[in-house]
Amino acid sequence: MTLLAVQALSKFFGGLQALKDISFAARAGEILGIMGANGAGKTTLFSLIAGHERPSRGAIRFEGRRIDGMRPDRICRAGIVRTFQIVRPFSAMSVLDNVRTAALFGRRQERSHARATAQAREILAELGLADRAEDAAATLTLSAQKRLEIARALATAPKLILLDEVMAGLTATEINEFLAAIRRIKERRDLTILVVEHVMQALMQLSDRVVVLHHGELIAEGTPKAVAEDERVIAAYLGQPT
Amino acid sequence: MQILLSGQLLFAALVTGAVYVLVAFGLNLVYGTLRLLNVAHGEIVMVGAYTSFWLFTLAHISPLISLFAAIALAAALGAAIYLGLVRRLFASPRLLQRLEANSLLLFFAFSIVLQNVAALLFQPTPRAYQYLDRVIQLGNASVTENRLVILIVAVVLCIAIILFLRLHIYGLAIKALIQHREAASVVGIDVEKVQLLSFCLGFGLAALAGSLLSMTEQISPFMGFPYTIAAFVVVILGGLGNLVGGMVASLLLGVIETYGVAFTSSSLRSVLIYGIFILVLMIRPQGLLGSRMIVR
Amino acid sequence: MRRPLALAAWLGLIAAAVLVPPLLGDYGVAVALSLAMWVALAESWIVLSGMTGYVSLGHAVFYGLGAYVGVLLWNTVPSGFAIIAAGIASGGFAVIIGYPALRVRGPYFVMLTFGVAELVKYVVIDLEAGLGVFSRLILGGPSVIVLYYVMLCLAAAATAITFLVGRSRFGYALRAIRENEAAAETIGIAVGRFKLAAFALSAVIPGMVGAVAVARSTYFEPLSAFDPVVSFTMVTMAVIGGSDDLRGPLLGAAFLVGLSELLWANAPQIYMIILGVLLAIFVLFAPEGIAGRLFVPARRAVS
Repeated sequence: MTLLAVQALSKFFGGLQALKDISFAARAGEILGIMGANGAGKTTLFSLIAGHERPSRGAIRFEGRRIDGMRPDRICRAGIVRTFQIVRPFSAMSVLDNVRTAALFGRRQERSHARATAQAREILAELGLADRAEDAAATLTLSAQKRLEIARALATAPKLILLDEVMAGLTATEINEFLAAIRRIKERRDLTILVVEHVMQALMQLSDRVVVLHHGELIAEGTPKAVAEDERVIAAYLGQPT
Repeated sequence: MQILLSGQLLFAALVTGAVYVLVAFGLNLVYGTLRLLNVAHGEIVMVGAYTSFWLFTLAHISPLISLFAAIALAAALGAAIYLGLVRRLFASPRLLQRLEANSLLLFFAFSIVLQNVAALLFQPTPRAYQYLDRVIQLGNASVTENRLVILIVAVVLCIAIILFLRLHIYGLAIKALIQHREAASVVGIDVEKVQLLSFCLGFGLAALAGSLLSMTEQISPFMGFPYTIAAFVVVILGGLGNLVGGMVASLLLGVIETYGVAFTSSSLRSVLIYGIFILVLMIRPQGLLGSRMIVR
Repeated sequence: MRRPLALAAWLGLIAAAVLVPPLLGDYGVAVALSLAMWVALAESWIVLSGMTGYVSLGHAVFYGLGAYVGVLLWNTVPSGFAIIAAGIASGGFAVIIGYPALRVRGPYFVMLTFGVAELVKYVVIDLEAGLGVFSRLILGGPSVIVLYYVMLCLAAAATAITFLVGRSRFGYALRAIRENEAAAETIGIAVGRFKLAAFALSAVIPGMVGAVAVARSTYFEPLSAFDPVVSFTMVTMAVIGGSDDLRGPLLGAAFLVGLSELLWANAPQIYMIILGVLLAIFVLFAPEGIAGRLFVPARRAVS
């Protein structure tokens, strides 16, 4: 079943066209990887889906309803949440408060403080942050802050989560931990994930399917194996064979 | 109608615009390089004005000479503020988080202190003096020499500044810093030094404006506020950090204000300035001439 | 706040405040009224600027508008209604001005609030001049003691509002907006609506305070009603006392009112200079304010 459908999506920033006529779909329950070099348009795509920017052309449908141009908070309430490439914790708030806030205002719009707290604690435990619950978010290591970013996103009870380069800046060990954590998270929930990742191996290991962006265009789509062997992808990444 | 078309009004608009060029440039410089809004800018103008006033009243020194003293004094003050206060804001990560709010409060405190020190040292009553107030004829306009001097100085300064930014190594460094802070330090620009220079230069120019203004306006400890607001209007109209845009915007503001007041009445001058200020901030914070900047 | 000591302290404070008129005489009431006024103003200010981080340097506009409405309505409606109308007018103005103003971020917003306050001041001056009025008087207003108790209620209300907002769901949203507005929006907070609500809420009590203040002084004059010094004093009290804690404005107001009693009559400039220096010192070295320093573990109560 198609959860998210992107149709003929284009985005211009002044004279620069960041996305050119992109179309693809994400099926419910899959992990869809988004691959591309810097400047290929990956973050722009996320910004458009999450509502931080409006498309210049095209449409974005979530569960059949058009969401392009909606405000980010309404999109969150519809069931889509994103994480940021450069983490944006609520620094002066405690780790627990970060997640609790998300539970209060996410898709479930939780009104009960007690229930929001319980949900938050559960998610913190799931991501190994339970012991840091009362600490200020600013005091966490980068790896922990990235986990907090994911925890906060999860607390909004999303149906679709956009992970924007969560592995950036992590060590090899941490990357493996994250991959395992994301798989565990997905097992416990009815969740669809769109992953943008620079760390190629992580992306290929995690994704069920991959789409490849290059200079704002979609040049390939398929299983990780198929994409890795695709001529156009190889040409884009390695240049034309001599 | 005749009044509106007269050279008199045009000249007045040009002079007002010239004053705004001088006053606003320093503010734009400080914002462009440091991303800090100096809300005490008008008070530096006041300091310059008082410097020239006292040097003229007590020692009969022409403001055209005492303006150098005013610039030196203001630059020293700028250095003290930068080294003593502003650097602390950047140094502490906790203060850096709410840099905008903190810097505004800090500069606001500075302006209150300056105003009241001045009120304490000199009485709050407005003062004035006469210098170069001979009237000469320029076409069909009667102008006072001092206003003509202001206009000439402003034009000369604009040219000097444009050349400085284009040719001198520090001018280029300032431009680089305004356009892209991180990149500037990567290519080897001593960001600290350039920032200090900008700060002192910004303060110095404000004092220069005050010095010149003292020839034509009344001086009081609280005269600074309207100039701060006018400077902000100019800086926002022209685009924050856009130094040349500021020059154009100054002229525009001078024209709007002078002709606007001529159309309506002088008591509406404040309403006009603040009205434009608010309108520009709400509708187009990046200015008429500036490009879109991510504010937060 | 569940500790019995804290509760006793609050009750003691309330009792002392209520007992001022019989125990302290005219001068005492005057000072206490001033103190109550500033507490009400500073507490209201932190609902917006402390919690969302959108610093307003023009809050005097709500105070002034309240005073204006108060003096205009004073003899035509019962005083209670005049005060409430002043609050509603201020709140309404906040909604109108807040809608475009809050879309503007950071330093722009601060300058904008200041600009709005000055604009309204000059508009009222021109309006009054146009009507041929230079100041307005209130004749036959209530006694100082009655006004004191009204102001005390406003101070209590403002403190209560700050308290309730601080521990409510609304408060979580505001704090998230302060920490990172884009992230807050991403997790489902309708930032525009919440900012506007905070803005309007922070305007109502200052409006009512303005009406009571004008009844106390018995005259209205735009230059003093919309004086930037009012904005500045509000901000300074909150920053010095601590803008993250509802006890902050209490401490800040007490400190500065005390200082002004010592200095204002003879050397108002020195008072203002000290104010400016204190503000700078606190911003740089103690941004959490006196309350933040004194009550560090209990900060969780609001923050």
